[in-house]
Amino acid sequence: MISGPLAVLAMTGRMPVVQVPVSMPMLLVGGFIVGIGVTFGSGCTSGHGVCGIARLSRRSVAATLTFMLTTGASVYVVRHVLGG
Amino acid sequence: MRLVSSYLIGLIFGVGISISGMANPAKVLNFFDVAGSWDPSLIFVMGGAVVVAFLGYRVVLRRPAPVIDTKFHLPDNPRIDARLLGGSAVFGIGWGIAGFCPGGALPALGTGRVEVMIFVAALIAGIFAAKGLIALSGARAARVLRTES
Repeated sequence: MISGPLAVLAMTGRMPVVQVPVSMPMLLVGGFIVGIGVTFGSGCTSGHGVCGIARLSRRSVAATLTFMLTTGASVYVVRHVLGG
Repeated sequence: MRLVSSYLIGLIFGVGISISGMANPAKVLNFFDVAGSWDPSLIFVMGGAVVVAFLGYRVVLRRPAPVIDTKFHLPDNPRIDARLLGGSAVFGIGWGIAGFCPGGALPALGTGRVEVMIFVAALIAGIFAAKGLIALSGARAARVLRTES
């Protein structure tokens, strides 16, 4: 997975764009929360959102709807309420 | 053999994530920012991935077993419980704060950026913290069961 961007660099001559409009403390907080969430929720975007939905798993559909909603809410709060 | 196939699968995933923009927090956060600078293009990434995976599962699961294993390992827990929904809700909050999900961040490590390393370090710490909590509550439940019986 880590060599993915390097393969893209080799094929296109350009590194894929990674822009991080998030401060270091927020990255730490967000990363820790994501780690807790994916462990209790048994999966994330690729696990539930792609593999689970593709297998028509009801559990994964429920999980995906849940985290899509809370991600949207979280972005809304960070950007429009807290004004980050 | 297994190592080679794991590497190639990871490489394909990493290339796809890198090209599609899922490894780019600015793009991911804009996808969720419906009330602001909304960029709906990532829905095609997820939609496309689901369609390809759906068709792939149809073909692959027709086989009695994988090529390099004796059986398929598929999740068989059908329960939609508080742990699943709570964990997913918490994951979403973190994703909205940081802009990285695990599948986006690991390939992004390949760009060598410090921000990605910080996120992944915190991610690993969170996973261990949650596993510790789960083990702790499991041990406590076992103790309660023992004293009751």
